[in-house]
Amino acid sequence: MAFLYYLRDGGGNGPGTAGLPGASGGTEQAEARRGGQIVGSARSQPRSFNRLLVRDQTSDTVNMLLQGRLVRINRATFQVEPWLADKWEAAADGLTYTFHLRENLTWSDGAPFSSADVIFSLDAALDPKVESVVASNLTAGGQPIRAEAPDANTVVFKLAGPVGPGVRIFDGLPILPKHKLGSALAAGQLAAAWGPATPPSELAGMGPFVLREYVPGQRLVFDRNPRYWRKDARGQQLPYLDRIILEIVPEQNAELLRLQAGDTDLTHSELRAEDYVPVRQAEQQGKVRLVELGVGTDPDGFWFCMKPEVKAKDPRFRFVQKREFRQALSHAVDREEFAQTVFLGEAVPVWGPITTGNEPWFSPNIPRYPHDPARARDLLTSIGLEDRNSNGVVEDEKGTEARFTVLTQRGITYYESGATVLRDYAKAVGIALDIVALEAPALFQRVETCNYDAVYMRALMSDLDPGLSVDYWLSSGGAHLWNLSSKAPATEWEKEIDRLMTEQASTLDAARRKTIFNDVQRIFAENVPVLYFAAPRLYYGHSVRLRGVVPSVMRPQVLWNADMLSVDGAAPQS
Amino acid sequence: MARFLVRRVTFAILLVFISSSAALFLTRLAPGDLTVSLGPNPSRAEVAAARARFDLDRPVLEQWGLWISRLARLDFGESLQYGRPVGPLVARAAANSATLGVIALIVATLLGISLGIFTGAQRGAAAAVVRTFSVACLSLPPLVTSLLLVFIAARTGWFPLGGMTTPGTTAVTWSAWLADVAVHLPLPVIALALPVAATFERLQSQALGETLHLPFVAAAAARGVSRRSAVLHHAWPVSLRAICAIYGIVIGAVLSGSFVVEYVTAWPGLGRTMYEALRARDIYLVAGCAAMGASFLALGTLIGDLLLAAVDPRVREGIAE
Repeated sequence: MAFLYYLRDGGGNGPGTAGLPGASGGTEQAEARRGGQIVGSARSQPRSFNRLLVRDQTSDTVNMLLQGRLVRINRATFQVEPWLADKWEAAADGLTYTFHLRENLTWSDGAPFSSADVIFSLDAALDPKVESVVASNLTAGGQPIRAEAPDANTVVFKLAGPVGPGVRIFDGLPILPKHKLGSALAAGQLAAAWGPATPPSELAGMGPFVLREYVPGQRLVFDRNPRYWRKDARGQQLPYLDRIILEIVPEQNAELLRLQAGDTDLTHSELRAEDYVPVRQAEQQGKVRLVELGVGTDPDGFWFCMKPEVKAKDPRFRFVQKREFRQALSHAVDREEFAQTVFLGEAVPVWGPITTGNEPWFSPNIPRYPHDPARARDLLTSIGLEDRNSNGVVEDEKGTEARFTVLTQRGITYYESGATVLRDYAKAVGIALDIVALEAPALFQRVETCNYDAVYMRALMSDLDPGLSVDYWLSSGGAHLWNLSSKAPATEWEKEIDRLMTEQASTLDAARRKTIFNDVQRIFAENVPVLYFAAPRLYYGHSVRLRGVVPSVMRPQVLWNADMLSVDGAAPQS
Repeated sequence: MARFLVRRVTFAILLVFISSSAALFLTRLAPGDLTVSLGPNPSRAEVAAARARFDLDRPVLEQWGLWISRLARLDFGESLQYGRPVGPLVARAAANSATLGVIALIVATLLGISLGIFTGAQRGAAAAVVRTFSVACLSLPPLVTSLLLVFIAARTGWFPLGGMTTPGTTAVTWSAWLADVAVHLPLPVIALALPVAATFERLQSQALGETLHLPFVAAAAARGVSRRSAVLHHAWPVSLRAICAIYGIVIGAVLSGSFVVEYVTAWPGLGRTMYEALRARDIYLVAGCAAMGASFLALGTLIGDLLLAAVDPRVREGIAE
């Protein structure tokens, strides 16, 4: 399912697959000092220390601190960077990738790192018994990726078909220690290995930190990995920090208070719109530094369930499935005012799921629906919807009213206010929306079974690269919101999007991929299966003593670059 | 006495059994399940595997039967959120709640009873102020009290904002850890103790006021017993019956954790653990927390009965029979 209040599990992408030379990523700090610790927060427990098994936000953040990857997607530039592999070659046909590993690297426990670990990690990710959450992104041409190791520092990946995102897919493969987990995989027990109860001493990683302590419900403590491979531009061993502590604070208000009081250096995620004012005040008092991250990449969406096998007998389905009805609703909304009201002005109008925050893939040339209630009423009339009984709600010729129950998630301010504002706009053109806020589990169950009229909430893409978020675009996808996991495209335009996205995901030429995806966005905007209104500008607050912050629009906004963070007042570097 | 204890233990076992079973049934029957915690875009296979792992793919009665059979081996099941057995998680949270609860109970008892004696035995402006303050504390929901205290803490910096220890404090000595916990206690203790103290004050005040009008107090005064002694040594022990009658339930309620106070003040206790487990539909953790809460309630009721017996000879004789 794609509609969760958690954000994606890392991995932003853009067109192009060229690796950047050297170990860039993050602002190098001329005056960065080694030592010190920072306190951050996590909103939930890590569910496993094995990233192959889990995708939740906290587990992903922990994985970034503990583990390495062959290449890394820089969360600020969206470019691929060399990481455990310092260089690679891609065959012209896109079917072979050869990675050259950095030499003389060691795991945090001192064991040597080699190509055998990479082969092991791929085998583990693709082992059916493991049921890994990353397995689906490690297939090409309908077949699992295969790998071989000609020597201890070289790995050759062989793909059955070209993959549009190219080398970027290897950012999604966590590299795990064979010497620690090999026996578990051989015994078919890897799915149970490295659970949250695992003693820290049994973990080993290639990341900048090692786990020192995990107190369930309270905190995770990470110490510097003394064997971490990366150095800064001056040859200084990274990471700068001695320790990172993540306190588990489930409640965002409490987290914000801690930040303002100086009890924490960084928060779990971006600020909510209602937090901007108090945090700005705290910034003016010198307590907090406020960072603008840019326009969010996951705007809130509104959609009707349009699963024919569920809704065929619902008389309202006759007009919901007509694009004129959805276009009318889109015309009914004043997006500028929506942004002002719901996000207190900190948002930009949007007409599709790809926002300016995802600049490489954003297309400005898609159909837009300016606020025009008269045009909205004309569109409704064109499909036979008129207010025949003068009760303020349009009906079809059989008297079926355009009245819908809209589900949204309880407790998320901008969902509830957004749905309310939308209700008022819809009412003005004769569409009645009744808002019902549900707890997350109840809401997701209703969405999963299409037991709803309409939903207003945030729909999340798996990745910024559309080639890695095809589950949203393909009609068979588990994140095809309005008709989940359809056996066949329900409409001609969905069939066309299926065709284009299949081509896009397997095309190597970056310009061609962009052109195809522009077409996909245009078709999507013409048919508006999901209506988008505004994408918030995201802000992040952190303590004023934190240095080396390279904020990302993606979570974790700061800790993705943890090895470059430092604090004022730390002990001078030795 | 033996029969009394057997009755009480049987009652406790039944209470724990019924509470935890009800919690499991209600969590299972509530809309949605724990797969909501799997993170973004779980595959159908992933969801199905999680449901199978937690017996959610079985009928609810079958799931309950399996849970009961494991419970007989003291296996409370596993928590999805924490990825570890429920037993130690609940034990740790219960210890934290009990720490907070015991201290809050001591504060509330000392404060409530002493103020109740004062307002029950005295008339005047000072007693009226105390009575008004008590009524105000009783009227304020714990959520408001907790938020107010957190707000004061945030504004003044007098207390830590929440939590059980200072963020970032690790690997300290036991004494330093205890000192750190002590610094974090005032805020949740005050939030938890204020309404209980107000309840005790009102009950004690009314009970003492009524007792002071009984003939045996007048007789004591006639024998030349001082007013102070008549209140403290004659009337007060008798008036304690009203407090003792509800003390057991208060103990149970306070020890089993106030999820409002624990949530707002970020105290890692049973109430907060259960609230988060409920939100995530972490079914076995919910049942485990309910079982522990019911155990505290049963224990509290037992202590309350014993206290009542200690102050009321009629109850003592009933227990003896």
